[in-house]
Amino acid sequence: MAEATGLRNLQLVNDWADDVAVFRAVPWGKAMMWIFLLSDTFIFTCFLTSYMTVRMTTAEPWPNPSEVFALEAFGVPVPLLLIAIMTFILITSSGTMAMAVNMGYRRKRVPAALLMLVTAVFGAMFVGMQMFEWTKLIVDEGVRPWGNPMGAAQFGASFFMITGFHGLHVSAGVVYLIIVAVRVWRGRYEEKGYDIIEITGLYWHFVDLVWVFIFAFFYLW
Amino acid sequence: MAVEAQIPYQEAMELHDPHSWITKYWFSQDHKVIAIQYGITAIGVGLVALVLSGMMRLQLGFPDQFDFIDPEAYYQFITMHGMIMVIYLLTALLLGGFGNLLVPLMCGARDMVFPYVNMISYHVYFLSVIILLASYFVPGGPTGAGWTLYPPQAILTGTPGVDWGILLMLGSLAVFIVAFTMGGLNYVTTILQARTRGMTLMRMPLSVWGIFMATVLGLLAFPALFVSAIMMILDKTIGTSFFMPAVVSIGDSLDYSGGSPLLFQHLFWFFGHPEVYIVALPAFGIVSDLISTHARKNIFGYRMMVWAIVAIGVLSFVVWAHHMYVSGMHPWFGFFFATTTLIIAVPTAIKVYNWTLTLWRANIHLTVPMLFAIAFVITFVMGGITGLFLGNVIVDVPLSDTYFVVAHFHMVMGVSPILVIFGAIYHWYPKMTGKMLNDTLGHIHFWVTFLGTYIIYYPMHYLGFVGVPRRYFANGEMAIIDESVIMLNQTITIAALIVGVFQIVFIWNLIYSYFKGRDAGPNPWKATSLEWQTPETPPRHGNWAEKLPTVYRWAYDYSVPGMKDDFIPQTEPRTAEETAAGRTE
Amino acid sequence: MADTGQQHPISVYFWIWALLFVFSAASYMVDYLAFQGYTRWTLIIIFMMLKAGFIVAIFMHMRWERVALITAIMVPPGALLVLVGLMAMESDYTWLTRVVYLGADPAPVPLPPPSH
Repeated sequence: MAEATGLRNLQLVNDWADDVAVFRAVPWGKAMMWIFLLSDTFIFTCFLTSYMTVRMTTAEPWPNPSEVFALEAFGVPVPLLLIAIMTFILITSSGTMAMAVNMGYRRKRVPAALLMLVTAVFGAMFVGMQMFEWTKLIVDEGVRPWGNPMGAAQFGASFFMITGFHGLHVSAGVVYLIIVAVRVWRGRYEEKGYDIIEITGLYWHFVDLVWVFIFAFFYLW
Repeated sequence: MAVEAQIPYQEAMELHDPHSWITKYWFSQDHKVIAIQYGITAIGVGLVALVLSGMMRLQLGFPDQFDFIDPEAYYQFITMHGMIMVIYLLTALLLGGFGNLLVPLMCGARDMVFPYVNMISYHVYFLSVIILLASYFVPGGPTGAGWTLYPPQAILTGTPGVDWGILLMLGSLAVFIVAFTMGGLNYVTTILQARTRGMTLMRMPLSVWGIFMATVLGLLAFPALFVSAIMMILDKTIGTSFFMPAVVSIGDSLDYSGGSPLLFQHLFWFFGHPEVYIVALPAFGIVSDLISTHARKNIFGYRMMVWAIVAIGVLSFVVWAHHMYVSGMHPWFGFFFATTTLIIAVPTAIKVYNWTLTLWRANIHLTVPMLFAIAFVITFVMGGITGLFLGNVIVDVPLSDTYFVVAHFHMVMGVSPILVIFGAIYHWYPKMTGKMLNDTLGHIHFWVTFLGTYIIYYPMHYLGFVGVPRRYFANGEMAIIDESVIMLNQTITIAALIVGVFQIVFIWNLIYSYFKGRDAGPNPWKATSLEWQTPETPPRHGNWAEKLPTVYRWAYDYSVPGMKDDFIPQTEPRTAEETAAGRTE
Repeated sequence: MADTGQQHPISVYFWIWALLFVFSAASYMVDYLAFQGYTRWTLIIIFMMLKAGFIVAIFMHMRWERVALITAIMVPPGALLVLVGLMAMESDYTWLTRVVYLGADPAPVPLPPPSH
């Protein structure tokens, strides 16, 4: 009735006032993943806030990320070229992940598993490009966590810490995806249902989501 | 629809029954065993911290009498005592211990939603304790940076344990946070998604509400500590400058530059203030249940109590910088944080009024748990009032870093939750073991602890007013250190040692009663909440019989007029009279 | 009885996928075309929020969840806004003290990255 009258806030109250479960029809694992992601949001925001603070307080010049992360293409330096490619790769992987979830709920387990593996491959590519980026920064530009030739020491420190922590999340996600994909492939969830793909997907999309903020605040600021 | 679909899921929950000694007592997936594991580990490490505080008191009461306490050792005592008590004892015992024990039992669940993760949670916590205690066996010993670990001094030469101690401390905290997250996700998900039929949120006992809100705070506040621990480890090991400005140390200009020590303080207290409520809220919840049960009266203003818990939880995220009035932060912040601090006192005061009104004209049974509960209310009021002093900038500035602060936080978040923990152990021990704790030993333990507390902490307010600074190894020949200060410090030390030694009575009671205690029966306190209605005492793995219990009423139907007994269990269906009288909730 | 989950037409995902590409390209162009000042910040934040919003709403299915879950997840990060806002104020103040008391240069120019 609440939905019939369109009073969504009444539905909100009803759900919270219900017995057994607050989130109707939400499996335990999915609820737990959402709450974990909420906690993880706080971790990443604290990292980004620390970066903001050291950047705003430093009296040293801050290196221009647009120049530092430029890449030569056909003899011309293109700003942020690699970062743009990495962004597109991560978005693509998010797309394939969404399709995998969809396939899972259609009970097409082989396509679902394949799409998850494709997602994992894109994730691995992302990590690979990040390693390339780190190498270039360390070897060519002379950026170190404790200092760099362009300006504030916190530039390298924040960069390696934030992208490193994000990269760890991506790497963990790749492993997680592969494990779940193999289990899906073998038909382990035929009886239990394919909520697990959606749960894995939530984690993967979250990693993509964090990258959106890192892209905006670290590379474009 | 789906709600009904989830109940059979709970009833058919896969329980990994133990097959051997090791899966029964060590790698157990039973929430009750995990609760006891958390409890024993936390109390064990807490006793270490108690001994450390005794050594600190020896130095303060009788300076220069003990050769084995040098300034370095003293600072290590302070640091380890504070950190162990706040994190590894109180947080772990209230959430890991009582959270694990009470959440599934009081919500009517078979177990936590993911028992395996729950088991890992304990073992990771155990690992964090090992890492912490390992710092006693590394070169330089544990860190002496104070429990707040403020940089720059925490990682600079001159602070004890600067090589290994600080790294082990930060590493141990990070590991603890991982453990807490695994446990905390379980508690929250269980409370939100796995209650039994009829158990709405507004019928949950306040213990569960307190544990729930504290766990949510933990999940959202510990990330700030995690992040600052990682950044300080980086500052220490590879020489980044997140928290380190340009520093001249012992004549040498160090390689650090441009970092912000204030950033650490903000991050630390963004965690640290919710942490106060992570410890306090479960204590608030548990004490509400103790008072209601042993006063044979429903808790006064149940809904108000719930909303006060929620309000405190929300507000606790916007008060953090009241710990930093003298830090040199933005001059406008004092106004903002003093205001929010005074606002958060309102829901807290509501809770105190409600406890008092619950006791008003109640049928009070002065059992040992009840004594501890009443002692909590008194002590919490004492500590809370001094909090109002310290929350105001202008009063805080002269009192900051004196023994007034030490007295305040020990009263409000040291002794108060500990009193609740003692009360809760006396209250739930019969359910866990089937035996009552010995009453005489309980009374001795209570009176020594309660009166001792006041002999120890009351004089500290005075010490603070005359200006005795905290964290000083020795006070020397300062003008403010007159005869009364020296005399009081000796008194405090003697009282502290006596109280410390008398905790043996409590430990002995736990062991003695397990073997020789009087049989408790299923419901010795005649309590209403679900954990007292289990088919067996102690409850078996899976807690309930074939079918989960159904809940028909709130947990506070004590002394209902016109009823045969003075309590009605939550599983009791409504009678025709009740419905006729219009009592529907 | 497991298909109680999120089942939506595939075309929705393709649309969002395409939109995310467009917004990413757009935010990249903000840098490429070297917009500065408030224009830059407004555009970056708008594109960021759009991307984040679509990922959460569609890919993570938040749009189709019940309000109870949406509020439970979206309200707590409000605490972070307080942290970010106050830390921004605090940082400004710290910077000011460094300029006023420590003689820091209020408008330093970064060196260009080493050329190869």
